[in-house]
Amino acid sequence: MSPLSSNAIDELCLKVDRRWKAIDAAKKDADTGIQRIANILADHRLVSSDTSFVVFGSLARGEWTVNSDVDWTLLVDGEANPDHLKVSQQIKSRFIQAKLNEPGSTETFGKLAFSHELIHQIGGEGDSNKNTTRRILLLLESRAIGNPDAYDRVVKNVLNRYLDNDISFLSRSGQHYKVPRFLLNDIVRYWRTMCVDYASKHRERQGEKWALRNAKLRLSRKLIFASGLLTCFNCYLKPPPEFKNNLFDLPEHMEPLLLHLKAHVRLTPLEILADALVSFAKPETAIQIFDAYDRFLTMMNDGEIRKHLDSLQAKDAHSDKVFNEIETISNKFQNGLNRLFFEENADIAELTKKYGMF
Amino acid sequence: MKRIGFSTGAIAFGDFGRALSLLSRFEVNAVELSALRFAELDPLLRAIDHLDLRQFQYVSFHAPSKFSAEDEPRLVQLLRRISDRKWPIILHPDSIFRPELWLPLQDALCFENMDKRKPVGRTAAELQSLFDLYSKASLCFDMGHAHQVDRTMSEGRLIAQRYSRRIRQLHISEVNTRSEHVPISAASEFAFSKVIDLLNQDTPIIIESVVREDEIESELIRVVGVFEGAIRELCSKDWG
Repeated sequence: MSPLSSNAIDELCLKVDRRWKAIDAAKKDADTGIQRIANILADHRLVSSDTSFVVFGSLARGEWTVNSDVDWTLLVDGEANPDHLKVSQQIKSRFIQAKLNEPGSTETFGKLAFSHELIHQIGGEGDSNKNTTRRILLLLESRAIGNPDAYDRVVKNVLNRYLDNDISFLSRSGQHYKVPRFLLNDIVRYWRTMCVDYASKHRERQGEKWALRNAKLRLSRKLIFASGLLTCFNCYLKPPPEFKNNLFDLPEHMEPLLLHLKAHVRLTPLEILADALVSFAKPETAIQIFDAYDRFLTMMNDGEIRKHLDSLQAKDAHSDKVFNEIETISNKFQNGLNRLFFEENADIAELTKKYGMF
Repeated sequence: MKRIGFSTGAIAFGDFGRALSLLSRFEVNAVELSALRFAELDPLLRAIDHLDLRQFQYVSFHAPSKFSAEDEPRLVQLLRRISDRKWPIILHPDSIFRPELWLPLQDALCFENMDKRKPVGRTAAELQSLFDLYSKASLCFDMGHAHQVDRTMSEGRLIAQRYSRRIRQLHISEVNTRSEHVPISAASEFAFSKVIDLLNQDTPIIIESVVREDEIESELIRVVGVFEGAIRELCSKDWG
Protein backbone atom coordinates (compact mmCIF):
# COMPACT_ATOMS: atom_id res chain seq x y z
CA MET A 1 0.00 0.00 0.00
CA SER A 2 1.46 3.37 -0.97
CA PRO A 3 1.75 5.85 1.92
CA LEU A 4 -0.45 8.91 2.12
CA SER A 5 0.67 11.24 -0.61
CA SER A 6 0.73 15.01 -0.58
CA ASN A 7 0.65 15.25 -4.36
CA ALA A 8 -1.97 12.59 -4.93
CA ILE A 9 -3.80 14.48 -7.66
CA ASP A 10 -0.65 14.50 -9.78
CA GLU A 11 -0.18 10.80 -9.09
CA LEU A 12 -3.76 10.13 -10.11
CA CYS A 13 -3.25 12.13 -13.30
CA LEU A 14 -0.24 9.98 -14.08
CA LYS A 15 -2.09 6.78 -13.29
CA VAL A 16 -5.07 7.49 -15.55
CA ASP A 17 -3.16 9.66 -18.05
CA ARG A 18 -5.53 12.59 -17.76
CA ARG A 19 -5.51 16.12 -16.33
CA TRP A 20 -8.55 18.03 -15.18
CA LYS A 21 -8.45 21.62 -16.33
CA ALA A 22 -11.07 23.11 -14.03
CA ILE A 23 -9.59 21.38 -10.98
CA ASP A 24 -6.12 22.68 -11.88
CA ALA A 25 -7.45 26.19 -12.54
CA ALA A 26 -9.44 26.29 -9.30
CA LYS A 27 -6.35 25.26 -7.36
CA LYS A 28 -4.26 27.93 -9.05
CA ASP A 29 -6.91 30.58 -8.41
CA ALA A 30 -7.18 29.49 -4.77
CA ASP A 31 -3.41 29.84 -4.37
CA THR A 32 -3.61 33.34 -5.86
CA GLY A 33 -6.49 34.23 -3.54
CA ILE A 34 -4.60 32.91 -0.53
CA GLN A 35 -1.53 34.92 -1.47
CA ARG A 36 -3.67 38.04 -1.83
CA ILE A 37 -5.15 37.51 1.62
CA ALA A 38 -1.73 36.73 3.07
CA ASN A 39 -0.49 40.08 1.76
CA ILE A 40 -3.41 41.99 3.29
CA LEU A 41 -2.89 40.29 6.65
CA ALA A 42 0.87 40.86 6.60
CA ASP A 43 0.68 44.48 5.41
CA HIS A 44 -1.58 45.39 8.32
CA ARG A 45 -0.15 42.81 10.78
CA LEU A 46 -3.61 41.59 11.58
CA VAL A 47 -2.65 38.24 13.06
CA SER A 48 -1.19 38.36 16.56
CA SER A 49 0.94 35.59 18.01
CA ASP A 50 -1.93 34.01 19.95
CA THR A 51 -4.18 33.78 16.90
CA SER A 52 -4.23 32.20 13.46
CA PHE A 53 -6.20 33.36 10.47
CA VAL A 54 -8.01 30.34 9.07
CA VAL A 55 -9.94 29.98 5.82
CA PHE A 56 -12.55 27.33 5.14
CA GLY A 57 -14.74 26.44 2.15
CA SER A 58 -13.65 26.56 -1.45
CA LEU A 59 -10.51 28.57 -0.74
CA ALA A 60 -9.25 25.97 1.74
CA ARG A 61 -10.28 23.12 -0.56
CA GLY A 62 -8.29 24.67 -3.39
CA GLU A 63 -11.48 25.06 -5.44
CA TRP A 64 -11.73 28.82 -5.85
CA THR A 65 -14.22 29.89 -8.50
CA VAL A 66 -15.96 33.13 -9.49
CA ASN A 67 -18.00 34.70 -6.70
CA SER A 68 -16.67 32.26 -4.10
CA ASP A 69 -17.04 33.62 -0.56
CA VAL A 70 -14.07 33.99 1.73
CA ASP A 71 -15.13 31.94 4.75
CA TRP A 72 -12.70 32.82 7.53
CA THR A 73 -12.25 33.00 11.27
CA LEU A 74 -9.68 34.56 13.48
CA LEU A 75 -8.92 31.55 15.64
CA VAL A 76 -7.92 32.56 19.16
CA ASP A 77 -5.83 30.20 21.26
CA GLY A 78 -4.63 32.30 24.13
CA GLU A 79 -5.84 34.52 26.87
CA ALA A 80 -9.08 36.43 26.53
CA ASN A 81 -8.27 39.77 24.94
CA PRO A 82 -10.93 42.39 24.22
CA ASP A 83 -8.86 43.72 21.32
CA HIS A 84 -9.28 40.50 19.32
CA LEU A 85 -12.74 41.72 18.34
CA LYS A 86 -11.30 44.98 16.99
CA VAL A 87 -8.78 43.00 14.96
CA SER A 88 -11.48 40.76 13.46
CA GLN A 89 -13.50 43.86 12.59
CA GLN A 90 -10.44 45.35 10.95
CA ILE A 91 -9.93 42.17 8.92
CA LYS A 92 -13.53 42.36 7.79
CA SER A 93 -13.21 45.95 6.65
CA ARG A 94 -9.88 45.33 4.89
CA PHE A 95 -11.50 42.47 2.95
CA ILE A 96 -14.44 44.65 1.96
CA GLN A 97 -11.96 47.30 0.73
CA ALA A 98 -10.20 44.58 -1.26
CA LYS A 99 -13.56 43.53 -2.74
CA LEU A 100 -13.38 40.00 -1.37
CA ASN A 101 -16.77 38.34 -0.96
CA GLU A 102 -18.01 38.20 2.60
CA PRO A 103 -18.99 34.87 4.20
CA GLY A 104 -22.58 33.65 4.09
CA SER A 105 -25.36 34.88 6.32
CA THR A 106 -25.22 32.13 8.98
CA GLU A 107 -22.46 34.03 10.82
CA THR A 108 -20.50 30.82 11.30
CA PHE A 109 -17.58 32.60 9.66
CA GLY A 110 -16.25 36.13 9.35
CA LYS A 111 -15.58 36.53 13.05
CA LEU A 112 -13.67 35.19 16.04
CA ALA A 113 -13.57 31.51 17.00
CA PHE A 114 -12.18 30.28 20.30
CA SER A 115 -10.07 27.20 20.85
CA HIS A 116 -11.71 26.27 24.15
CA GLU A 117 -15.13 25.83 22.59
CA LEU A 118 -13.73 23.79 19.71
CA ILE A 119 -11.74 21.52 21.98
CA HIS A 120 -14.04 21.11 24.96
CA GLN A 121 -17.52 21.25 23.47
CA ILE A 122 -17.59 18.05 21.44
CA GLY A 123 -21.10 16.64 21.79
CA GLY A 124 -23.50 17.48 24.59
CA GLU A 125 -25.64 20.54 25.12
CA GLY A 126 -22.84 23.05 24.58
CA ASP A 127 -22.00 21.78 21.10
CA SER A 128 -24.01 24.15 18.94
CA ASN A 129 -24.54 23.68 15.23
CA LYS A 130 -22.07 26.53 14.66
CA ASN A 131 -19.45 24.94 16.90
CA THR A 132 -19.80 21.53 15.22
CA THR A 133 -19.51 23.14 11.81
CA ARG A 134 -16.37 25.07 12.75
CA ARG A 135 -14.77 22.05 14.40
CA ILE A 136 -15.43 19.53 11.64
CA LEU A 137 -14.55 21.96 8.88
CA LEU A 138 -11.36 22.79 10.77
CA LEU A 139 -10.43 19.14 10.29
CA LEU A 140 -11.80 18.59 6.80
CA GLU A 141 -11.42 21.82 4.84
CA SER A 142 -9.35 24.49 6.52
CA ARG A 143 -6.07 26.24 5.98
CA ALA A 144 -4.13 28.72 8.07
CA ILE A 145 -2.80 31.78 6.27
CA GLY A 146 0.23 33.34 7.93
CA ASN A 147 1.44 32.13 11.30
CA PRO A 148 -0.11 28.66 11.81
CA ASP A 149 0.95 28.17 15.45
CA ALA A 150 -2.48 28.65 17.05
CA TYR A 151 -4.12 26.65 14.25
CA ASP A 152 -1.69 23.75 14.65
CA ARG A 153 -2.21 23.68 18.40
CA VAL A 154 -6.00 23.68 18.11
CA VAL A 155 -6.09 21.00 15.39
CA LYS A 156 -3.81 18.77 17.44
CA ASN A 157 -5.89 19.28 20.58
CA VAL A 158 -9.19 18.60 18.81
CA LEU A 159 -7.78 15.39 17.31
CA ASN A 160 -6.38 14.46 20.68
CA ARG A 161 -9.85 14.82 22.20
CA TYR A 162 -11.30 12.36 19.69
CA LEU A 163 -8.54 9.79 20.19
CA ASP A 164 -8.31 10.20 23.92
CA ASN A 165 -12.02 9.61 24.36
CA ASP A 166 -12.00 6.37 22.37
CA ILE A 167 -11.44 3.40 24.68
CA SER A 168 -8.45 2.28 22.62
CA PHE A 169 -6.85 3.32 19.39
CA LEU A 170 -5.35 -0.13 18.84
CA SER A 171 -7.18 -3.27 17.71
CA ARG A 172 -7.71 -6.15 20.17
CA SER A 173 -4.77 -7.99 18.63
CA GLY A 174 -2.69 -4.85 19.06
CA GLN A 175 -1.50 -5.16 15.48
CA HIS A 176 -3.60 -2.47 13.85
CA TYR A 177 -4.77 1.02 14.52
CA LYS A 178 -8.53 1.05 14.73
CA VAL A 179 -10.74 3.43 12.82
CA PRO A 180 -11.20 6.33 15.29
CA ARG A 181 -14.88 5.82 15.90
CA PHE A 182 -15.58 8.97 17.94
CA LEU A 183 -14.12 11.17 15.20
CA LEU A 184 -15.85 9.19 12.47
CA ASN A 185 -19.22 9.45 14.20
CA ASP A 186 -18.82 13.20 14.48
CA ILE A 187 -18.01 13.44 10.77
CA VAL A 188 -21.03 11.32 9.90
CA ARG A 189 -23.16 13.41 12.24
CA TYR A 190 -21.94 16.59 10.57
CA TRP A 191 -22.79 15.25 7.11
CA ARG A 192 -26.30 14.36 8.24
CA THR A 193 -26.60 17.77 9.91
CA MET A 194 -25.70 19.46 6.63
CA CYS A 195 -28.37 17.42 4.86
CA VAL A 196 -31.01 18.31 7.45
CA ASP A 197 -29.98 21.97 7.50
CA TYR A 198 -30.26 22.06 3.73
CA ALA A 199 -33.98 21.28 4.09
CA SER A 200 -34.34 23.71 6.98
CA LYS A 201 -32.67 26.55 5.06
CA HIS A 202 -34.91 25.82 2.08
CA ARG A 203 -37.92 26.38 4.31
CA GLU A 204 -36.55 29.41 6.19
CA ARG A 205 -35.31 31.22 3.13
CA GLN A 206 -38.31 30.38 1.00
CA GLY A 207 -36.27 28.64 -1.63
CA GLU A 208 -33.70 31.41 -2.09
CA LYS A 209 -30.48 30.04 -3.66
CA TRP A 210 -31.95 26.56 -3.41
CA ALA A 211 -30.37 25.21 -6.58
CA LEU A 212 -26.85 26.34 -5.72
CA ARG A 213 -27.13 24.82 -2.24
CA ASN A 214 -28.48 21.61 -3.75
CA ALA A 215 -25.58 21.40 -6.19
CA LYS A 216 -23.04 21.99 -3.42
CA LEU A 217 -24.66 19.37 -1.20
CA ARG A 218 -24.53 16.81 -4.00
CA LEU A 219 -20.89 17.51 -4.83
CA SER A 220 -18.59 19.67 -2.70
CA ARG A 221 -20.24 18.84 0.63
CA LYS A 222 -20.44 15.16 -0.25
CA LEU A 223 -16.76 15.34 -1.19
CA ILE A 224 -15.76 16.54 2.28
CA PHE A 225 -17.84 13.77 3.85
CA ALA A 226 -16.13 11.18 1.66
CA SER A 227 -12.69 12.59 2.48
CA GLY A 228 -13.60 12.57 6.19
CA LEU A 229 -14.50 8.89 6.03
CA LEU A 230 -11.26 8.14 4.19
CA THR A 231 -9.28 10.11 6.79
CA CYS A 232 -10.68 7.82 9.48
CA PHE A 233 -10.38 4.64 7.39
CA ASN A 234 -6.74 5.45 6.57
CA CYS A 235 -5.80 4.96 10.24
CA TYR A 236 -6.43 1.28 9.52
CA LEU A 237 -5.74 1.14 5.79
CA LYS A 238 -2.61 3.29 5.65
CA PRO A 239 -1.14 3.24 9.14
CA PRO A 240 1.68 5.64 9.95
CA PRO A 241 5.14 4.23 9.18
CA GLU A 242 6.14 4.36 12.86
CA PHE A 243 3.56 1.66 13.46
CA LYS A 244 4.44 -0.49 10.50
CA ASN A 245 8.12 -0.43 11.32
CA ASN A 246 7.52 -1.40 14.93
CA LEU A 247 5.16 -4.33 14.63
CA PHE A 248 6.74 -6.06 17.60
CA ASP A 249 7.26 -2.89 19.57
CA LEU A 250 3.78 -1.44 19.66
CA PRO A 251 3.46 2.26 20.29
CA GLU A 252 1.81 2.84 23.62
CA HIS A 253 1.13 6.46 22.93
CA MET A 254 -1.11 7.99 20.32
CA GLU A 255 1.43 10.44 18.90
CA PRO A 256 2.03 8.61 15.58
CA LEU A 257 -1.71 8.33 14.99
CA LEU A 258 -2.21 11.96 15.92
CA LEU A 259 0.45 13.04 13.44
CA HIS A 260 -1.06 10.74 10.83
CA LEU A 261 -4.44 12.42 11.22
CA LYS A 262 -2.79 15.84 11.24
CA ALA A 263 -1.17 15.00 7.90
CA HIS A 264 -4.68 14.46 6.51
CA VAL A 265 -5.80 17.86 7.81
CA ARG A 266 -3.06 19.48 5.72
CA LEU A 267 -4.43 17.90 2.54
CA THR A 268 -7.45 19.08 0.59
CA PRO A 269 -10.48 16.77 0.31
CA LEU A 270 -9.73 16.22 -3.39
CA GLU A 271 -6.16 15.19 -2.53
CA ILE A 272 -7.40 12.68 0.07
CA LEU A 273 -9.92 11.31 -2.42
CA ALA A 274 -7.30 11.14 -5.18
CA ASP A 275 -4.96 9.29 -2.83
CA ALA A 276 -7.67 6.68 -2.14
CA LEU A 277 -8.49 6.37 -5.83
CA VAL A 278 -4.83 5.75 -6.66
CA SER A 279 -4.60 3.05 -3.99
CA PHE A 280 -7.99 1.37 -4.03
CA ALA A 281 -10.02 2.09 -7.19
CA LYS A 282 -10.02 1.12 -10.83
CA PRO A 283 -8.85 3.84 -13.23
CA GLU A 284 -12.31 4.16 -14.80
CA THR A 285 -13.84 4.87 -11.40
CA ALA A 286 -11.24 7.54 -10.70
CA ILE A 287 -11.91 9.11 -14.08
CA GLN A 288 -15.66 9.08 -13.54
CA ILE A 289 -15.40 10.79 -10.14
CA PHE A 290 -12.86 13.40 -11.20
CA ASP A 291 -14.57 14.07 -14.55
CA ALA A 292 -17.80 14.77 -12.69
CA TYR A 293 -16.12 17.03 -10.16
CA ASP A 294 -14.17 18.84 -12.86
CA ARG A 295 -17.40 19.59 -14.70
CA PHE A 296 -18.97 20.80 -11.44
CA LEU A 297 -16.11 23.26 -10.93
CA THR A 298 -16.38 24.38 -14.55
CA MET A 299 -20.04 25.19 -13.96
CA MET A 300 -19.32 26.91 -10.64
CA ASN A 301 -16.70 29.06 -12.38
CA ASP A 302 -19.21 30.24 -14.97
CA GLY A 303 -20.79 33.48 -13.76
CA GLU A 304 -23.88 33.01 -15.91
CA ILE A 305 -24.53 29.49 -14.64
CA ARG A 306 -24.09 30.58 -11.02
CA LYS A 307 -26.46 33.47 -11.56
CA HIS A 308 -28.97 31.11 -13.15
CA LEU A 309 -28.71 28.63 -10.27
CA ASP A 310 -28.97 31.48 -7.77
CA SER A 311 -32.44 32.33 -8.97
CA LEU A 312 -33.72 28.90 -9.96
CA GLN A 313 -36.73 27.73 -7.92
CA ALA A 314 -37.15 24.11 -6.85
CA LYS A 315 -40.44 23.80 -8.70
CA ASP A 316 -38.73 24.65 -12.01
CA ALA A 317 -35.67 22.50 -11.48
CA HIS A 318 -36.73 19.30 -13.21
CA SER A 319 -37.31 21.01 -16.52
CA ASP A 320 -34.20 23.13 -16.28
CA LYS A 321 -31.29 22.22 -18.55
CA VAL A 322 -28.55 23.51 -16.25
CA PHE A 323 -29.98 21.80 -13.21
CA ASN A 324 -30.43 18.58 -15.15
CA GLU A 325 -26.73 18.65 -15.88
CA ILE A 326 -25.99 19.14 -12.18
CA GLU A 327 -28.13 16.08 -11.48
CA THR A 328 -26.33 14.05 -14.13
CA ILE A 329 -22.83 14.88 -12.92
CA SER A 330 -23.80 14.44 -9.27
CA ASN A 331 -25.19 10.99 -10.09
CA LYS A 332 -21.92 10.08 -11.81
CA PHE A 333 -20.01 11.38 -8.80
CA GLN A 334 -22.19 9.36 -6.43
CA ASN A 335 -21.93 6.19 -8.54
CA GLY A 336 -18.16 6.52 -8.58
CA LEU A 337 -18.09 6.94 -4.80
CA ASN A 338 -20.35 3.88 -4.45
CA ARG A 339 -17.85 1.85 -6.41
CA LEU A 340 -14.94 3.14 -4.31
CA PHE A 341 -16.64 2.62 -0.97
CA PHE A 342 -18.65 -0.55 -1.64
CA GLU A 343 -17.33 -2.48 -4.60
CA GLU A 344 -13.73 -2.21 -5.70
CA ASN A 345 -11.82 -2.83 -2.50
CA ALA A 346 -12.89 -5.40 0.05
CA ASP A 347 -11.27 -3.61 2.99
CA ILE A 348 -12.96 -0.28 2.30
CA ALA A 349 -16.29 -2.03 1.68
CA GLU A 350 -15.97 -3.82 5.02
CA LEU A 351 -15.07 -0.62 6.85
CA THR A 352 -17.92 1.26 5.19
CA LYS A 353 -20.39 -1.39 6.29
CA LYS A 354 -18.93 -1.62 9.77
CA TYR A 355 -18.49 2.08 10.54
CA GLY A 356 -20.51 3.98 7.99
CA MET A 357 -23.91 2.50 8.53
CA PHE A 358 -24.64 1.34 12.08
CA MET B 1 13.13 64.05 17.49
CA LYS B 2 12.00 60.84 19.15
CA ARG B 3 14.79 58.64 20.48
CA ILE B 4 14.19 55.18 19.12
CA GLY B 5 16.23 52.09 18.36
CA PHE B 6 16.69 48.40 19.01
CA SER B 7 18.11 46.05 21.57
CA THR B 8 21.21 44.50 20.02
CA GLY B 9 20.00 41.07 21.18
CA ALA B 10 16.78 41.40 19.20
CA ILE B 11 18.40 41.91 15.83
CA ALA B 12 21.56 39.82 16.18
CA PHE B 13 21.36 37.24 18.94
CA GLY B 14 24.61 37.20 20.90
CA ASP B 15 26.47 39.37 18.39
CA PHE B 16 26.48 43.05 19.39
CA GLY B 17 29.03 43.90 16.69
CA ARG B 18 26.77 42.69 13.94
CA ALA B 19 23.77 44.37 15.56
CA LEU B 20 25.53 47.76 15.62
CA SER B 21 26.62 47.30 12.04
CA LEU B 22 23.02 46.57 11.04
CA LEU B 23 21.72 49.60 12.93
CA SER B 24 24.22 51.89 11.21
CA ARG B 25 22.11 51.48 8.06
CA PHE B 26 19.02 52.94 9.68
CA GLU B 27 18.04 56.28 11.13
CA VAL B 28 17.94 55.16 14.72
CA ASN B 29 19.39 57.17 17.57
CA ALA B 30 18.93 54.84 20.54
CA VAL B 31 20.36 51.44 21.35
CA GLU B 32 20.34 48.95 24.18
CA LEU B 33 23.54 46.93 24.42
CA SER B 34 22.40 43.52 25.48
CA ALA B 35 24.28 41.14 27.73
CA LEU B 36 21.12 39.26 28.60
CA ARG B 37 23.05 36.00 28.84
CA PHE B 38 25.86 36.00 31.36
CA ALA B 39 28.33 34.69 28.79
CA GLU B 40 27.78 37.82 26.70
CA LEU B 41 28.91 40.13 29.50
CA ASP B 42 32.70 39.87 29.36
CA PRO B 43 33.05 40.18 25.57
CA LEU B 44 30.74 43.19 25.54
CA LEU B 45 32.56 44.92 28.41
CA ARG B 46 35.94 44.22 26.79
CA ALA B 47 34.74 45.82 23.56
CA ILE B 48 32.80 48.69 25.03
CA ASP B 49 35.53 51.34 24.84
CA HIS B 50 36.02 50.63 21.17
CA LEU B 51 32.41 50.56 19.98
CA ASP B 52 31.39 53.29 17.59
CA LEU B 53 28.26 54.64 19.25
CA ARG B 54 28.33 58.15 17.76
CA GLN B 55 25.06 57.48 15.96
CA PHE B 56 23.19 57.17 19.25
CA GLN B 57 21.86 59.92 21.49
CA TYR B 58 20.78 57.31 24.00
CA VAL B 59 22.56 54.14 25.10
CA SER B 60 21.46 51.68 27.77
CA PHE B 61 22.90 48.40 28.92
CA HIS B 62 20.91 45.25 29.63
CA ALA B 63 22.45 43.30 32.50
CA PRO B 64 22.34 39.49 32.48
CA SER B 65 18.94 38.14 33.43
CA LYS B 66 20.39 35.05 35.10
CA PHE B 67 23.50 34.68 37.19
CA SER B 68 24.55 32.70 40.22
CA ALA B 69 24.76 34.04 43.75
CA GLU B 70 28.53 33.49 43.58
CA ASP B 71 28.79 35.63 40.45
CA GLU B 72 26.67 38.45 41.84
CA PRO B 73 29.41 40.52 43.60
CA ARG B 74 31.65 40.35 40.53
CA LEU B 75 28.75 41.33 38.27
CA VAL B 76 27.95 44.38 40.40
CA GLN B 77 31.63 45.32 40.31
CA LEU B 78 31.76 44.99 36.52
CA LEU B 79 28.60 47.03 36.06
CA ARG B 80 30.23 49.99 37.76
CA ARG B 81 31.88 50.62 34.41
CA ILE B 82 28.41 51.14 32.96
CA SER B 83 27.14 53.34 35.77
CA ASP B 84 30.29 55.47 35.46
CA ARG B 85 29.20 56.21 31.92
CA LYS B 86 25.78 57.29 33.23
CA TRP B 87 24.11 54.66 31.10
CA PRO B 88 20.98 53.08 32.53
CA ILE B 89 21.46 49.45 33.56
CA ILE B 90 18.34 47.47 32.67
CA LEU B 91 17.85 44.79 35.31
CA HIS B 92 15.33 42.04 35.90
CA PRO B 93 14.21 42.34 39.53
CA ASP B 94 13.92 38.57 39.98
CA SER B 95 17.63 38.07 39.20
CA ILE B 96 18.88 39.69 42.42
CA PHE B 97 20.12 37.50 45.29
CA ARG B 98 21.54 40.07 47.73
CA PRO B 99 19.69 43.38 47.37
CA GLU B 100 22.24 45.33 49.42
CA LEU B 101 24.98 44.65 46.85
CA TRP B 102 23.09 46.70 44.28
CA LEU B 103 22.38 49.76 46.43
CA PRO B 104 25.53 51.65 45.37
CA LEU B 105 24.44 51.31 41.74
CA GLN B 106 20.88 52.42 42.28
CA ASP B 107 21.16 55.69 40.36
CA ALA B 108 21.87 53.66 37.26
CA LEU B 109 19.49 50.77 37.96
CA CYS B 110 16.49 50.69 35.68
CA PHE B 111 14.20 47.83 36.68
CA GLU B 112 12.10 46.21 34.01
CA ASN B 113 8.52 45.17 34.73
CA MET B 114 8.35 41.44 34.20
CA ASP B 115 6.38 38.93 32.11
CA LYS B 116 3.96 36.60 33.79
CA ARG B 117 6.45 33.74 34.27
CA LYS B 118 8.31 35.75 36.87
CA PRO B 119 7.33 35.83 40.53
CA VAL B 120 8.03 39.54 41.07
CA GLY B 121 7.93 42.88 39.28
CA ARG B 122 4.88 42.15 37.14
CA THR B 123 2.42 44.68 38.48
CA ALA B 124 2.42 48.18 39.86
CA ALA B 125 2.04 46.76 43.37
CA GLU B 126 4.92 44.32 42.94
CA LEU B 127 7.19 47.06 41.58
CA GLN B 128 6.50 49.20 44.63
CA SER B 129 8.53 46.98 46.94
CA LEU B 130 11.53 47.42 44.62
CA PHE B 131 11.30 51.18 44.62
CA ASP B 132 10.87 51.16 48.38
CA LEU B 133 14.29 49.56 48.54
CA TYR B 134 15.94 51.39 45.66
CA SER B 135 14.44 54.85 45.93
CA LYS B 136 16.69 56.33 43.22
CA ALA B 137 16.18 53.54 40.70
CA SER B 138 14.17 54.07 37.55
CA LEU B 139 11.80 51.92 35.47
CA CYS B 140 12.12 50.39 32.03
CA PHE B 141 8.44 50.10 31.14
CA ASP B 142 8.09 46.96 29.05
CA MET B 143 4.79 47.43 27.24
CA GLY B 144 4.81 43.89 25.83
CA HIS B 145 5.23 42.38 29.28
CA ALA B 146 2.47 44.60 30.68
CA HIS B 147 0.19 43.45 27.85
CA GLN B 148 1.01 39.80 28.46
CA VAL B 149 0.27 40.15 32.19
CA ASP B 150 -3.02 41.93 31.59
CA ARG B 151 -4.58 41.99 28.13
CA THR B 152 -6.85 44.90 29.04
CA MET B 153 -3.74 47.04 29.73
CA SER B 154 -5.28 48.40 32.91
CA GLU B 155 -2.26 47.12 34.84
CA GLY B 156 -0.08 48.78 32.19
CA ARG B 157 -1.91 52.06 32.71
CA LEU B 158 -1.50 51.72 36.44
CA ILE B 159 2.25 51.21 36.06
CA ALA B 160 2.53 54.14 33.65
CA GLN B 161 0.52 56.38 35.96
CA ARG B 162 2.13 55.43 39.25
CA TYR B 163 5.70 55.46 38.00
CA SER B 164 5.51 58.13 35.31
CA ARG B 165 8.45 60.03 36.86
CA ARG B 166 10.57 56.90 37.10
CA ILE B 167 10.11 55.69 33.52
CA ARG B 168 13.49 56.16 31.89
CA GLN B 169 13.10 53.89 28.89
CA LEU B 170 10.42 51.88 27.08
CA HIS B 171 10.64 48.33 25.80
CA ILE B 172 8.28 47.52 22.98
CA SER B 173 7.49 44.22 21.28
CA GLU B 174 4.68 41.68 21.24
CA VAL B 175 5.14 39.00 23.88
CA ASN B 176 3.55 35.73 22.88
CA THR B 177 2.13 32.99 25.08
CA ARG B 178 5.59 31.38 25.27
CA SER B 179 6.96 34.72 26.53
CA GLU B 180 8.98 35.25 23.34
CA HIS B 181 9.41 38.75 21.93
CA VAL B 182 7.93 38.81 18.43
CA PRO B 183 7.03 41.60 15.96
CA ILE B 184 4.05 43.66 17.02
CA SER B 185 0.66 42.96 15.47
CA ALA B 186 -2.53 44.98 15.27
CA ALA B 187 -3.70 43.53 18.61
CA SER B 188 -0.59 44.91 20.34
CA GLU B 189 -1.02 48.24 18.60
CA PHE B 190 -4.54 48.53 19.97
CA ALA B 191 -3.26 47.65 23.43
CA PHE B 192 -0.23 49.96 23.44
CA SER B 193 -2.26 52.90 22.20
CA LYS B 194 -4.17 52.70 25.50
CA VAL B 195 -1.16 53.84 27.55
CA ILE B 196 0.69 56.18 25.23
CA ASP B 197 -1.14 59.25 26.50
CA LEU B 198 0.40 58.60 29.93
CA LEU B 199 3.98 58.48 28.67
CA ASN B 200 6.46 61.28 28.28
CA GLN B 201 6.90 61.51 24.53
CA ASP B 202 10.66 62.05 24.92
CA THR B 203 11.22 58.73 26.66
CA PRO B 204 13.61 56.57 24.60
CA ILE B 205 11.99 53.60 22.89
CA ILE B 206 13.91 50.33 22.59
CA ILE B 207 12.38 47.76 20.27
CA GLU B 208 12.81 44.21 21.52
CA SER B 209 10.91 42.39 18.76
CA VAL B 210 13.14 39.63 17.47
CA VAL B 211 13.32 40.42 13.77
CA ARG B 212 15.34 39.34 10.77
CA GLU B 213 17.59 41.83 9.04
CA ASP B 214 14.97 42.43 6.34
CA GLU B 215 12.31 43.13 8.94
CA ILE B 216 14.15 45.85 10.89
CA GLU B 217 12.84 48.74 8.84
CA SER B 218 9.20 47.60 8.80
CA GLU B 219 9.24 47.02 12.57
CA LEU B 220 10.72 50.46 13.09
CA ILE B 221 8.05 52.07 10.90
CA ARG B 222 5.37 50.07 12.70
CA VAL B 223 6.49 51.19 16.15
CA VAL B 224 6.82 54.84 15.13
CA GLY B 225 3.32 54.51 13.64
CA VAL B 226 1.91 53.24 16.94
CA PHE B 227 3.17 56.29 18.81
CA GLU B 228 2.32 58.81 16.12
CA GLY B 229 -1.12 57.27 15.58
CA ALA B 230 -1.93 57.40 19.28
CA ILE B 231 -0.79 61.01 19.52
CA ARG B 232 -2.84 61.96 16.46
CA GLU B 233 -5.87 60.32 18.01
CA LEU B 234 -5.31 62.19 21.25
CA CYS B 235 -5.01 65.51 19.44
CA SER B 236 -8.16 64.91 17.44
CA LYS B 237 -10.24 63.96 20.49
CA ASP B 238 -13.06 66.24 21.40
CA TRP B 239 -12.31 66.97 25.05
CA GLY B 240 -15.30 69.29 25.46
